[in-house]
This record gives sequence, structure tokens and C-alpha cells, in this order.
Amino acid sequence: MGWLAAWFVASAALAVEIELEEVAPGHFVHRGTMEERSAENLGDQANIGFVVGERCVAVVDPGGSLAVGKALKAAMRKVTDKPVCHVVITHFHPDHFFGAAAFRESGVQFVAHAGYARTMAVRSRPYLNALRRDLGAAADGSEVIAPTMFVDKVATLDLGGRSLELRAWSVAHTDHDLTVFDASTGTLWLGDLLFVDHTPVVDGSIRGFLEVLDELARLPARVYVPGHGRTDAPWPDGLIPERDYLKLVLDETRAALKRKRTIEQAVDEVGTTEASRWVNFEAFHRRNVTTTYTELEWEE
Amino acid sequence: MTKWTSRFAVAMIALLAVTGMAVKSAGANEKAEPDPQKSQYWTPIRQMMFGDREILDGKDILKVYLNTRADDASTVPVSVKAQIDQTPERYIKTVYLIVERNPSPAAGVFQFSPESGRAQVETRLRFEEYSFVRAVAEMSDGKLYMGTKWVKAAGGCSAPGGANRIPAHLVGQMKFRFADDTLEYKKPALVQLMIRHPNESALSSDFDADKVPQFVRSVSVTYAGKPVLSAEVDFSLSDNPSFRFFFVPEGEGELQAVVEDTHDKRYMHRMTITEGVPLPGS
Repeated sequence: MGWLAAWFVASAALAVEIELEEVAPGHFVHRGTMEERSAENLGDQANIGFVVGERCVAVVDPGGSLAVGKALKAAMRKVTDKPVCHVVITHFHPDHFFGAAAFRESGVQFVAHAGYARTMAVRSRPYLNALRRDLGAAADGSEVIAPTMFVDKVATLDLGGRSLELRAWSVAHTDHDLTVFDASTGTLWLGDLLFVDHTPVVDGSIRGFLEVLDELARLPARVYVPGHGRTDAPWPDGLIPERDYLKLVLDETRAALKRKRTIEQAVDEVGTTEASRWVNFEAFHRRNVTTTYTELEWEE
Repeated sequence: MTKWTSRFAVAMIALLAVTGMAVKSAGANEKAEPDPQKSQYWTPIRQMMFGDREILDGKDILKVYLNTRADDASTVPVSVKAQIDQTPERYIKTVYLIVERNPSPAAGVFQFSPESGRAQVETRLRFEEYSFVRAVAEMSDGKLYMGTKWVKAAGGCSAPGGANRIPAHLVGQMKFRFADDTLEYKKPALVQLMIRHPNESALSSDFDADKVPQFVRSVSVTYAGKPVLSAEVDFSLSDNPSFRFFFVPEGEGELQAVVEDTHDKRYMHRMTITEGVPLPGS
């Protein structure tokens, strides 16, 4: 892909190495690690980045800690000197939002799904405690920032010469997933509605997730950015592995319920054949089965 | 009507506000299992619940079953199983289930009788952070025995808050799920009581003292009018609370569950049990 350009920005002081890739004109992506969060990687786990317009810049997910947010900002300043006007947070998960404080200044709007605030209220404290547990002193300064703009269904951000279409989805990966689409380049930022290689995570509804994937597949994207991982598959084929995994977990959990398996038994038995296909399978798959079981046990 | 749990929860939140903050820094970076005897969290809870009463090693009386690494901090299945039979001479009267580091540590207080057959209950817990889970059995002779298990709540984006809002018209809906297809009279039957309820948490950072969170505070199950399971519970239980337990149907009768929450809502569910007649499963 000859039109891709890569910037390498490393800063020893920040201890996070931000490598930027221009996936489409004006769309810069940094790919996070697939390792578990640690004081070494400082929570740099998600795919994050920004979109540059003629007037200003929109950040799409500021990263997993203040250090990551600062490193992203430093890398951004090597590419553009335009001011940041929006920080879009695709959903309230710690690897995506904890870097927000790096971009806090007057005139910056923090944008999220209308359903974001409820989860933020319930989970801020446990997320902060867990960040301190994993990062130690390096967690200092990472904080939860309340959004200043909420998206109910759709919204448009004008960056000057470039508009971003924001869409708030019904319950899927979480109950407040937001995507960003730039029609001028056909670039779609999916947040964690798409995991590539990394085990998909269900923190909303597995049935809702599958429905949203069907809707997503109809969007006219040409370039797309998953929340984790990378793929060269053409759109929308890159959705297929995640879709197949979710369908398998759904079907096997439903069958386990029919056989009167308990939640503990289902967690041990469902979807184990998928283990070799995904990174971090142990850490997330059992949790997905738990979520799916509690969702389906009320079905009938 | 007793509001023991609600009062207890409020007292516990106040207690944690004083002691919890002080010990928070000590526990914040802890990854390995600490010494259960030296837990700074346990001392004030123990004092408040049991005063100076001696608590004996419970390994011959009851066992706590939990995965050491919780897969989902919002839904952690736990079983407390008696290691002794319930006899009129000696039986487990009460089981206190405690998640030591949750803001309201007393997750449930379960009452049993000699008729319970076996004191056993399975439910699902929320975890605010890594914590010891303690089950204390109070015997008919007043002695206390404790079983303990260390649980690492999963990292990542796993958190105690439920992911989805439950539509208002479904709150209070209940379901019995039986382990077997049919029942026999006078034989212990394993049944799961499922309750659709948000079990709202005062863990929430926007916790407003004027707005009482709506959580289930009591569950009472009877069969043919006789008590089967009676529990005072709390928001340390997962949303859509679930209880799995035994009962012994002596003859045809009605299995009835009555649930009350902190908004003084009362929900009831019942079904008639007849030997050999197919039961609703899943």
C-alpha cells in the first residue's frame, strides 16, 4: 500500500513508543499491544489515533493511561500543529479512555455515546483501582473525564473540509459503542466492535453484537480500523472471524442451557475449540461465556 | 419488617469510609494472596458482625467453592456447601457470606433449619476488587466456623457494574429452573430461583444518599407453606440474582418465592409441584 506513510515517534521520558500509520489521507492510527496491561506497557493496548481536518483535529480514543495519551499527543504534534477540537471516546473501557486528560484544554469537546454516563458512574472507581494495581505510580494523572457532548443516534463533527459521521449503536460490545466514519475517504473507526486476532469481548449482548455486525457490514467503508489488531482483509470480510466466534459461543451456550449445564460447567465447556485462534483467550473467553449464559438464561 | 440488611449496608459504607480509605493504599498494588489471618479489611467487619466471639476453622463444617481467578467481576458463581448433615441435635442455623473488600461486604445471610436436609446455596457475586470471600456458619449451639477463599477478580474491562439496563416492566420477573426433569416426593430436589432485577449498587460513584439504590434485600422460599430458603441479601450479589438450593417436597404442594427490594417492592412467584409431572427446565 504505497500511499501509506509511517511516523516513528519514541520518547524515553514517556516510556510509550507511539508508531503512527496513515491508513487513509489524514487518518493516523497507532496499534496497541496485545499483552496484558502492565507497568511496562502502561496500558497501551488499544488501537488509537486521530483525524486531521483543515481547521482542527479529532482524536479517536486517547489510550489506556495518561502516559499513552501524552505520547499520542506528542506524536500528533510531529504530524500537525492544528488544534484538537474533539476527543471521541468509542466506549468506556480503560484501554480506550484513560488517556483523555492529556487532551484536556479549553475548546476541546469530549464526545461519547448517550449511554456512556451510566457505565462511567458505576465503573469509574473499580477501573481506577485496577489501573493503580497494574501500573503503580505510573497510573498517576490518569483519570475519568466526563464527556461534554453525547450522541443519541448520529452526529456530525466538522473538522474543516472534512466531516466525521458519528453513530451510536444499540447494545453490542457494550451498551454504548460509538463509531466514526469519514465518507470522503471511506474510513471507518470501529472501536471494539471489531477485534482482529485478539479474543473478542462481549460486555453488552452477544445477540446484539451479531446484529450490529450485520448492519456494519453494509456500511460503504473502504478502510477500517479495528479496536485491536490489524488485518489486510477487504471490507467487510475482516468482520468474519469475529462473527464466526460470536456465533459459535452463542450456539454452544444455548445448547449447554438446553442440556441444563450450570454456568460453571458451560464456562468450562463452551467454545474451547477456538482457543488456538485467538490471543488472550484464557483471559476473555470464559468471561464471554459467563456474559452469554446470563443473557440467554432468560430467553424462552 | 426487618431492614437489617439495608441498615447494615449503610453502616458498612460508613465503616468503609473510615477504615477502607486508610487501608486502600496498602491493598492497591497487591497481586499475590495475602495472609487471611492478617487482613486489615476483615478485622473491622468481624468486630461489627461477630464481636469478640471465637471463630473456628470451618473445614469440616462448610466449604466455599469459587474460581480463584474470577472470569467476570460482575458475575462470579459461588457455592457454599455444608460438610455435615442437618440434624435436630446439630445443624447449621445461619451462613454469612462476606466479600471482604466490597463496599458492602455482607453479600448474604442465609437461614437454614434441620429440615433443610443439607445447608447448601449457590449464588453469583460482584467483586469491586481482589478480595477474600468468607463464609461463616453459625451452628445451632451458637459456635461459629469459617471457610475462606482468595479471589482475583479478572482484569481488563471486567467490572462489577452490570452491562445492560433491565426494562422496567421485567423487573421482579422470576423463574424456577430444576436440575431434574421430574421430582419424586421425599427426595431432595435441586432448584434455581432466578430473579430479574438490576440489584443496583451503591458502589456507583454518583451514589446519592437521598436516592436509595434499588436492590433486593430479602428472599424467602417456601414449599407447602414451610420455609425452604430465607436470606437477607445485598448489592454484592450480581444483577438478576440467582440462588440454587435443595428442598424436599413431602407431597404435592406449592413452591413459592417472595422477594422484597429496597424500594419496598414485593414480588411473588409460585408453581405447583406434582410427582412425576415434567418440570420447566431451560
